[in-house]
Amino acid sequence: MRIKVKIKRCDPTGRGGCEPYLQAYDVDVKEGMTILETLMWIKENLDGTLSFRRSCRSAICGSCALVVNGTPKLACKTQILREYEGAREVVLSPLSNFRVIKDLVVDLSPLWDKIGRIEPWLQPGSEPPEGGWIITKDEVERIDRESRCILCGICNSGCNSQEVDPEFIGPSAAAKVYRFVGDVREDGKRRRLERVSGPHGIWDCSRCVMCNEYCPKRVEPMTSIEKLRVEAIREGLVDNAGARHVEALVDSVNRVGRLDEAVYTFRSLGFLRSIGMIPLGIRLELHGKMPLPHIFPAIEGIEEVRELIRAVEEEE
Amino acid sequence: MVIHDIVVIGAGLAGMRAAIEAARAGLNVALVSKVHPVRSHSVAAQGGINAALKEDDSWEAHAFDTVKGSDYLADQDAVEILCKEAPENILELERMGAVFSRDERGRIAQRPFGALSYPRTCYAADRTGHTLVHVLYEQILRAGIWIYEEWMVVSLVVEDGICRGVICLNLATGRLHRLHSKAVILATGGYGRVFKHTTNALINTGDGMALALQAGARLMDMEFVQFHPTTLRRTGILITEGARGEGGYLLNREGERFMKRYAPEMMELASRDVVSRAEQTEIDEGRGVDGCVLLDIRHLGEKKINERLSQIRQLAIDFEGIDPVHDPIPVRPGAHYSMGGIEVDVWGETGIEGLYAAGECACVSVHGANRLGGNSLLETIVFGRRAGRRAAEYASSTELKPFPDVFLKEAAHEIALILNRDDGERASTIRHELSSTMNGCVGVFREEKGLKEALDRVRELRERYRKVCIDDKGDVFNTDLQNALELKNILLLAEAICLGALERRESRGAHYRKDYPKRDDENWLKHSLFCLKDGEIRIDYKDVTITRFPPKERRY
Ligand SMILES: Cc1cc2nc3c(=O)[nH]c(=O)nc-3n(C[C@H](O)[C@H](O)[C@H](O)COP(=O)(O)OP(=O)(O)OC[C@H]3O[C@@H](n4cnc5c(N)ncnc54)[C@H](O)[C@@H]3O)c2cc1C
Ligand code: FES
Repeated sequence: MRIKVKIKRCDPTGRGGCEPYLQAYDVDVKEGMTILETLMWIKENLDGTLSFRRSCRSAICGSCALVVNGTPKLACKTQILREYEGAREVVLSPLSNFRVIKDLVVDLSPLWDKIGRIEPWLQPGSEPPEGGWIITKDEVERIDRESRCILCGICNSGCNSQEVDPEFIGPSAAAKVYRFVGDVREDGKRRRLERVSGPHGIWDCSRCVMCNEYCPKRVEPMTSIEKLRVEAIREGLVDNAGARHVEALVDSVNRVGRLDEAVYTFRSLGFLRSIGMIPLGIRLELHGKMPLPHIFPAIEGIEEVRELIRAVEEEE
Repeated sequence: MVIHDIVVIGAGLAGMRAAIEAARAGLNVALVSKVHPVRSHSVAAQGGINAALKEDDSWEAHAFDTVKGSDYLADQDAVEILCKEAPENILELERMGAVFSRDERGRIAQRPFGALSYPRTCYAADRTGHTLVHVLYEQILRAGIWIYEEWMVVSLVVEDGICRGVICLNLATGRLHRLHSKAVILATGGYGRVFKHTTNALINTGDGMALALQAGARLMDMEFVQFHPTTLRRTGILITEGARGEGGYLLNREGERFMKRYAPEMMELASRDVVSRAEQTEIDEGRGVDGCVLLDIRHLGEKKINERLSQIRQLAIDFEGIDPVHDPIPVRPGAHYSMGGIEVDVWGETGIEGLYAAGECACVSVHGANRLGGNSLLETIVFGRRAGRRAAEYASSTELKPFPDVFLKEAAHEIALILNRDDGERASTIRHELSSTMNGCVGVFREEKGLKEALDRVRELRERYRKVCIDDKGDVFNTDLQNALELKNILLLAEAICLGALERRESRGAHYRKDYPKRDDENWLKHSLFCLKDGEIRIDYKDVTITRFPPKERRY
């Protein structure tokens, strides 16, 4: 079947400078053909100037990430006909949240820097016994998902928090932190948790789930971030807005059986920063987003809710 | 010009291991790679890495299996080192952070692999290479080793028999750079892309071997190319030997486990050359299915498949549209591994002062005529480390030699010629013709007529390459140019492969001549050597080192 493949291009040295433009190519596609094979076909037969990265062509090296019809994916793992069937067109563009170098090639150095900054190496407390460490299957399993990461940048490209805060640790580096925090041999767990509990850390994740959705290796970085949050609170690292937010939430539900926004804000942000939120509160009020009453009575059946919370706490 | 004590070319397992070792000696080490380190081909290794870890296994048994697997062409002194040093190297990888899969008692689990007399293959599920590459990359960051990422080496600077550094193309800018060093370690991997149907990454174009040959080093045993028995029909993507190690069957169209006719004892786990030939025979004699045989792992059950072979399952679904839990996977042999490479001793020394090589681009030789699964990752680690150590010793005891200017000029001239040529032949046309020829005539089965044809064709293509022409004339990320430069390398290596295969009038390991179907120890128990004289490849031979295992007939 002959289809049009549109590619968002940009050549810093060629015509138009860095101004991106869409170029369409007619391609005969066959069942089973991947986006990467399509790109290679275009490059070999129609236009050698098209640039993209590729290496393993089997979804393990992380080179070929790009955006297909608005969704970040691995080119080598994505069948072009499936994409075409849904949207009746195929538009390929470079990963978002990164600077474009040329065509589909982006500058991933912010990703490498973030990985580098977390001290991404095991810091064991002691030497293993002769013959090696004894590690149970369950302990291996605990970091199995994080160990699958191929550092392709797809999660960073889809990440809403990274979009508004380029300094945000980002899903891939956070998953990597958990890879060490969850390792039974690791000794630097607390220090790692302290670091990611600070600004631009795990509490800045907006839990939009995009990284979990898009990850081609099912690493589920957002789940790693949640695991880090749990570990951080367990370690008593609660002196930050994120952790206080969680505590306030539990507290609110425990008290009245629902979210008490006003008290919740005070607890999370502290007195001074909460005062700064008053204009926002007023605007919310004007838009009818803060229904009365502002002070909640406990819901019916609150005892049951409290019972549930107690049960969960005991289980932990 | 930038100066380092040691420049390591290639950031796969061998290169990274070498760099870590050299940096431990306190030297200024840089790593150059045409892709980011974790994009290197090593990351795709699935099945595992061999070491005699258990009390009832021994390095001698491992060495014997390796030598037998090599069809007695491996140098036994090197094999002894490989097998003796294996356990310590595996444990060190765990100290660095790797986690291998465990057995019930929490120790490192080991699975059976082809042609092993003991289940000796350590693995991290079916992504062993991925685990190890990421761990070594972590150690590179920890050691603060400088990485020139997406820099392609285009020539080695060798004058008066001494290596002084390299010339690189920075892909992001298109600029050429000189890296001046006391020692250079080549760890550029294999040349799978010489063939059309291959398990290898698209970047595996044997650059380091071609550069070394041009710089005056010798290549060895180039005719020995491993064809892996289980690669996906359309793409050549690998299905690990681990699938058979875990109990998978190979079936022909009649549903027969045909290996019983070829290797009654080891069956599916006979050595790779034996299984590939058996498959090809079944296919050629009409008992295949659509040019393939079937790999059946259904009887392992979904749970075990998910636990031990989850990536394989996903690959078969994504790239062949088949879920191996429910259907057998069509597979066929595909070019997989370069047994040959740059001739080195057990310390990675190439014969050119200051130039070392390790990993798949080197030929020590520990694999001889046929490599055992799980021995290549081991080789990258063991010999990467040794090359790093020896290069560090050398660099610590020598002065920096002057860096002649002409190398940069020559490289710039060559690239300008390609960029400025407006009409000529596309690199992709030449590459397709080359890889189809190699698959057709220099594959699992070979004979004189086809080999001669292939050699003539390769020489013709090398001639045509002089007029190669590309579309992209830009500086920034010009992958068109990169592909053309790589093509030059695979053309040169293809010629060496054809020559070696044509000359070797016997069948040994992966090299099978229909016209000379027997192994001939009297005339051919020797390594072939290739060097470049006046632009032409010359062949020579040298003896095999035999220490404890005298050649015997090989049966599985
Ligand atoms: C699919 C697959 C699965 C495998 N599974 C196993 C297994 O289970 N067990 C096993 O033992 N073996 C396995 N092998 C073999 C093994 O993976 C390889 O032999 C080994 O990884 C090679 O490592 P290396 O470090 O020598 O080279 P590579 O990992 O190939 O690295 C080469 C490096 O050199 C760089 N480079 C190349 N040319 C240039 C240049 N011109 N300039 C700059 N840099 C350059 C590349 O960027 C790369 O960083 C497998 C092979 C394949 C194809
Ligand atoms: S090419 Fe390696 S992940 Fe796609």
